[in-house]
Amino acid sequence: MKVFLAALLFAAVAAVGVSIVLNTFQQPSYAAFTTGGARVGDPGNNLVGPG
Amino acid sequence: MQLSSPLVRRRSRNLETEGRSAMARSHSTRKACIPKAAAHKASILKALCAAFALLFVVAHPAAAQLSFKPTAEAVQEDKLLNALKEGDKITGRITIPDAMAASLIQPAGRDWRDFHRSKLPIIGGVAIIGMLALLAIFLMVRGRIRVDHGFSGTKILRFASFERFTHWLTASCFIVLALSGLNISFGRILILPLFGAQAFATMSTYAKFAHDYLAFPFMLGLVIMFLIWIKDNIPGKIDLQWLKRGGGILSKGQHPPARRFNAGQKGVFWIVIIGGSLMSVSGWFLLFPYIPANVTTMQFWTVIHAVIAMLFIAAMMAHIYIGTVGMEGAFDAMGTGEVDLNWAKEHHSLWVEEEQAKGHAPSGSTPRAVPAE
Repeated sequence: MKVFLAALLFAAVAAVGVSIVLNTFQQPSYAAFTTGGARVGDPGNNLVGPG
Repeated sequence: MQLSSPLVRRRSRNLETEGRSAMARSHSTRKACIPKAAAHKASILKALCAAFALLFVVAHPAAAQLSFKPTAEAVQEDKLLNALKEGDKITGRITIPDAMAASLIQPAGRDWRDFHRSKLPIIGGVAIIGMLALLAIFLMVRGRIRVDHGFSGTKILRFASFERFTHWLTASCFIVLALSGLNISFGRILILPLFGAQAFATMSTYAKFAHDYLAFPFMLGLVIMFLIWIKDNIPGKIDLQWLKRGGGILSKGQHPPARRFNAGQKGVFWIVIIGGSLMSVSGWFLLFPYIPANVTTMQFWTVIHAVIAMLFIAAMMAHIYIGTVGMEGAFDAMGTGEVDLNWAKEHHSLWVEEEQAKGHAPSGSTPRAVPAE
């Protein structure tokens, strides 16, 4: 059981670590593949409001 | 719109001639009488206006006959799109930095979309539900595979802590990856109606994050698994014998000899290594889109990723079944790391002999009587 829990913990820690590393040099898709002219609002919002 | 009708051209020449002669007449009489010249100019202007009006009336229907026909062009456009082969695309001219935005139409995308919407759910459904059905039938027909001689009470170490850690690291990541991946293919059909759009969207977002980031510990586990177990998973002649006898799982009392891993376990090992490698490579293309590939290559790898995933999940369901419900005493190998000596002798007799020769296992255990059920 200890080994199993240790594996789960390691997986979680590794995933968080990877997310931190990747987020330092990766852009979200709405920023990476669009330009200022193509953005119609902040992520999570559309032209008529949140949603 | 070009005015190229012979009728229109002739009318134009006549009007030009009439206009030049009228202007010449006006010029010759200007000095003689100014008011008369003004009247002439007025009449010329009237004539020109009338001529242009006539020109418009005559030319417009003629030109309209020569303009494009939207319906006919649409048919041609459809033929054009159908004629485009895989990899072809219709591009436009753009001024924004994203060069990929110049792709207007990529017909291969339609095939890719059709695959994801129609073929992939069928492949996944057949593989996963088919495997569930097979396992259920197998359980009903064969029943749980028991230890024929009963548990001896003597334990032998099957997997060390690090091996079990690697197994559970890879397995736990795989389960999350599989569930979050299946959500992409079947979530809209199965989960969305149950939880509603808002909850489904939130869940899918977090599932996507988990899928992206747990892929890395999964790949790490895959590499470690390969390194620590490759030496015990090289196929040999003994595996052929094991396969010929159906691994002993099809009939009771049959236990073909096997070393540390039998042919079935070796098959699972190579499915995990090859399938996991394909999933990793294809997943890498999706994690880092467009860096090493264009959109056509990305579509190819998404297909590979999805199909291998469905088959991989089906294969792992069989592995989970035989390691838990399907075989008595098997889970201990990855649970505590120690298995009963009788279980080990029945399923891995040659490995037990090797371990006993090394002094790692007690020798000469006395089988207990099989309890009545």
